[in-house]
Amino acid sequence: MVVVQRNIYRAFLLFACAFTGFISVTNSAYAKGTQVSAEKCLKCHPDLRQEMASRGAHAPFKRLECSSCHNPHTSNYEHLVKEQISKLCKNCHKGKKGVFGKKYGHSPFEEGACLKCHRPHSSKNRKLLLAAGGKLCFTCHAKKEILSKKYKHDPVKKGKCLTCHSPHTSDHERMLKRGLSQACVSCHSIKSKAAKASHSHYPVQDSKCTSCHNPHASSHSNLIKESSHKPFAERKCTQCHNSVRSRDPLGVKGEGMSVCVACHPSTKEDFRKVNTHVGQGVFCINCHSPHASDEAHMKKAKETRICTSCHRDTKEHLRDKKNKYKHPSVMEGKCSECHRPHGSNFRLLYPTDEIGACAECHKRHVSFTHPIGKDAIDPRSKGEITCVTCHNLMGSRHDFALRFDRKKELCIQCHKGY
Amino acid sequence: MSRKINFVILFLTFFLIIPATALCAGKGIKHLTSITRDTETGRLGLLGGVFFDENRNRLYVTDTTNKRILAFDVDMKFVSEFNAGGALEAPTFLVRNSKGQFFVAEPTKGNILFIDIRQKSVKPIDFSGVPKANIIYPGKMTLDSSDNLYIVDKANQRILIFDPDLRFDRQVLVKDGKGLSDVKVDSSGNIYALNTIGGSISVFDSRGNLLQTFGKKGKEKQEFDFPVSLAIHPKGVIYVVDQHKHKVLAFNKKGEFLLYFSELGWREGRLHYPSFICVNKAGRIFIVDRGNSRISVFE
Repeated sequence: MVVVQRNIYRAFLLFACAFTGFISVTNSAYAKGTQVSAEKCLKCHPDLRQEMASRGAHAPFKRLECSSCHNPHTSNYEHLVKEQISKLCKNCHKGKKGVFGKKYGHSPFEEGACLKCHRPHSSKNRKLLLAAGGKLCFTCHAKKEILSKKYKHDPVKKGKCLTCHSPHTSDHERMLKRGLSQACVSCHSIKSKAAKASHSHYPVQDSKCTSCHNPHASSHSNLIKESSHKPFAERKCTQCHNSVRSRDPLGVKGEGMSVCVACHPSTKEDFRKVNTHVGQGVFCINCHSPHASDEAHMKKAKETRICTSCHRDTKEHLRDKKNKYKHPSVMEGKCSECHRPHGSNFRLLYPTDEIGACAECHKRHVSFTHPIGKDAIDPRSKGEITCVTCHNLMGSRHDFALRFDRKKELCIQCHKGY
Repeated sequence: MSRKINFVILFLTFFLIIPATALCAGKGIKHLTSITRDTETGRLGLLGGVFFDENRNRLYVTDTTNKRILAFDVDMKFVSEFNAGGALEAPTFLVRNSKGQFFVAEPTKGNILFIDIRQKSVKPIDFSGVPKANIIYPGKMTLDSSDNLYIVDKANQRILIFDPDLRFDRQVLVKDGKGLSDVKVDSSGNIYALNTIGGSISVFDSRGNLLQTFGKKGKEKQEFDFPVSLAIHPKGVIYVVDQHKHKVLAFNKKGEFLLYFSELGWREGRLHYPSFICVNKAGRIFIVDRGNSRISVFE
């Protein structure tokens, strides 16, 4: 009896395996190889007929090959496309001459969100773009900030962003087609008398033009950035630099950061802390621009960009789309609202201890929350419970930036008996 | 019967094998114990560095916030604490030489304190003989077998070397490094400099000639994200703490990746923004688990 039962069981298993195999093989073959007549598609999607005939139609769409991208029956993806959009597009668009494989990637390209810029069926614009030239770029990139300024770079005015930038990947920062200085000198000669005079005859040919000029727009002529360092504005170059006639004219007077602390003496003490951002040489310019800047405190870029250039874990947190809940300061890119950028005697460069740092804004919450502080011990680590024990302010997929789901996982991390 | 076997296999896979592999890909490295706050030590503040004194079998820990140095025996039992007669302001890193004298980094004062308990003397090391480029911000330290003292000078991307009589001897410039953060010396006298931002380790001979550089930044298991401290086992294994990966990576002297262990977490054996590592001759690994305010000991 037992033997019969076992044989039935084996036979059933064999049949189940064979059936599953058959179904999957036939299904995949059918899905991949199926060529459905476009006429069948157009019966239900008649509005596409006109689009198909348009000049700017996508080649397979024009050739009535709907099933080259869509599965007519089922799909795991929206609009019954056969694969994830990024993979689907790259099946044909492999990127000539390594155009897709360079060091820096445009974030929609990296995320595989091709449809953020391109239309899949047809477009009035070249390359199936959603909009023409700068209009498309300005849908994401600071349109107001750029176009409201009095002085604009010519290609910006004409909406020709691709004069300087690559749309997919680039070997250079900020998706530039060439290196920062080469990008400018390909149009702007700095060998002319006027250019030399405007730079006080300092040999700036190898310097980054964008350390003083905004490449898009500015309220100041010559596209000089919004705030200028006082000696720079007054053209007192020799306050920091050697004389233009010296052997090393671009060299600075004084050793290392001493050139900066000569005028900013209190900053020296900011770095006499347990945790600091002390670096090599004139390390102030790791974060600040010594000439001109569009940011507060002469920062050389937006805070998030400066901080995440080293703190890549934070960059990943910020980029992770699953992290829906972030602290408002994080979303606004104001790292220095919670962290002291020069130095601190507290963990993670907080201005005070972990609870105190949060209590500066969340006064009420600190007074009635779950026990925190010196007498509240985390049973997992035996350390003190603070705000960051439960919250991950850099980003979390759970409400209130909690580290775990408060409906099921959070409390039982410590309260095991429930 | 077969159902039982299947169940056992499933149980082993999901509850034992997978977690063990994830937590401790380092073969044979196990979490031993942790030093946390208790009634004897009181609250632990921001922890700086640890140093294991082989001569006296003592582990020393700097409690920066509470301005003290804590001593533990070989079984990690609390022995005593001291504050050098109130001279400690914000002690971070420390080492102890064969004569029992301490060197303690004091970043808020910008110096290294030389503490001789027998002589009851506390004085800063004299940096006047050091060629200055930038203001010196002394960081992590180490000693070699002859009691020469090696100090990280972050602001000048170099390692300052003082002889046992505390005279400045020489400097090693870490030219191609970026973000010099730690230094250790192996039994042959080779100097290992850790570059946090560059994500690499530069190895120099005792005269400062670059022998090799290894390690790079990336997402692979053998690559660094934000390495902050390193330690060298006498048998030649180089352990590197990666603060953003919350892991310890191990390499051999050729710079070949061997293993990694631990991961982000709060429970015993896991790490949360670790900041310092030290290893003793017996192979015990002491990690300052800063985010969890404890010292985690592995073996």
